[in-house]
Amino acid sequence: MSEARLVETFVELADTLIDDFDVIDFLQVLVDRCVELLDIDAVGLLLIDERGWLQLIATSNEQARLVELFQLQNEEGPCLDAFHTGASVSHPDLASAGDRWPRFAPAATEAGFAAVHALPMRLRSDVIGALNLFRPAVGELSEAAVRTAKALVAVATIGLLQERAIRTREILTHQLRTALQSRVVIEQAKGMVAERLGVDMATAFTALRGYARHNNRKLSDVAGTVIADSTAALELLSDPDHRRT
Amino acid sequence: MDGGDDFGRLTRVHAWVAEHAGRLQLPVAERALCETAVDRLRMNGAGITVGDGSGWPETRYSTDTLSKRLAELQITVGEGPSVIVLRTGAPVLAADLDSVLSQHRWPLFAPLAVEAGARALFALPLRVGTKRVGVLALHRVDAGWLDMETLANSVEFAELAFLLLLDEQARSSMVDSELAAERWPLDSPQVHQATGMIAVQAAIGLEDAFARLRARAFADRRRLADLAADVVARRLRFDVY
Repeated sequence: MSEARLVETFVELADTLIDDFDVIDFLQVLVDRCVELLDIDAVGLLLIDERGWLQLIATSNEQARLVELFQLQNEEGPCLDAFHTGASVSHPDLASAGDRWPRFAPAATEAGFAAVHALPMRLRSDVIGALNLFRPAVGELSEAAVRTAKALVAVATIGLLQERAIRTREILTHQLRTALQSRVVIEQAKGMVAERLGVDMATAFTALRGYARHNNRKLSDVAGTVIADSTAALELLSDPDHRRT
Repeated sequence: MDGGDDFGRLTRVHAWVAEHAGRLQLPVAERALCETAVDRLRMNGAGITVGDGSGWPETRYSTDTLSKRLAELQITVGEGPSVIVLRTGAPVLAADLDSVLSQHRWPLFAPLAVEAGARALFALPLRVGTKRVGVLALHRVDAGWLDMETLANSVEFAELAFLLLLDEQARSSMVDSELAAERWPLDSPQVHQATGMIAVQAAIGLEDAFARLRARAFADRRRLADLAADVVARRLRFDVY
């Protein structure tokens, strides 16, 4: 394993706070680097979605993809165990793992995998997914490889959680600005309507709201139309229905 | 927890605010936060203004009239530490508003702020990444820099203010965003109403109308809200020249 390549990978995985971040690309990098750096056969990665369901996000090859899908479908396998317990799960000889995973073990063996090592994607009490490392030969993964795998997964997990937290904050920040903006726009529109029609603020507001309700539009949208073109204010009282509602 | 790491510091600031809120039976929100900041950071006043530099800033809470006045003055003249924070997202610490530097940097705001009784103004952004949503403004009636401990705590007060605003937003957007927008408490709705009226009277855009209102308030040395009230009550018009 090249140390320079390892360092490069860590840098790559830490960089989640970029503008065009794509979670699928990011996890595909994690999966591909695991195969490359850990000298293993195949990797599969499951991640929870917004509603808490595990989804298959990335695999290094087709066999791994099928085995992971099989795990999800049957709700059984090392990846699910690692996810539910938050601890690493491994088996050095899948051919004799039929007791533990009666459906998964034969399927994995059939796909050509002899041993498996699953790692949770966990930060403190948050478990957001799990990674399966498959090997073609019987035996435990080397201690060095396990250490490297854990470090890669930890960096990826922190990056993902950070990215999620920041996106959530950005969405709320945007909503907050929009709420403030529409509130201000409503007051400005009231002023324009009041001035153009020679009425007081309460009457102007009633006219705006009446028009919005009558036309099944949002008050802030109607206010936006008025401030974009103040002559639209005239339309609000052109229909006698809205005059005194 | 020794407060050495930032996580511990934010937790401690949160505990201070919660303790103050508990004692006065207040919600853990803007008022409790500003009052606690004044107490713990040895300030004379604090206020939270929401806005992003492109739109119309709104003062959400002020602990005292000077704090409110400082916020309004900055909106009126369009310059000052909080204005820079809303525009750029970077903190602005003015340890002496009466210094040559401050007077040069804010030729309109600094003399008025000193005249109003303030000597130091520390403006901290409420932001995530490059996206900002407001400012926590802390003032003192005496000049002087913040020591490192106070500065570090000030930053955490701003972070907490930001988190509280987002919490509130998360709750209201779950209810009904349209209703939440209507309920949003505006500091001075008449300023925006007057802006709309002036835009029609002078046949100009809203930005220009707002600028006219602010220029008049500055020239007449009157409060923006008072002038706006005159426009709304139709005691004052801004017609085409």
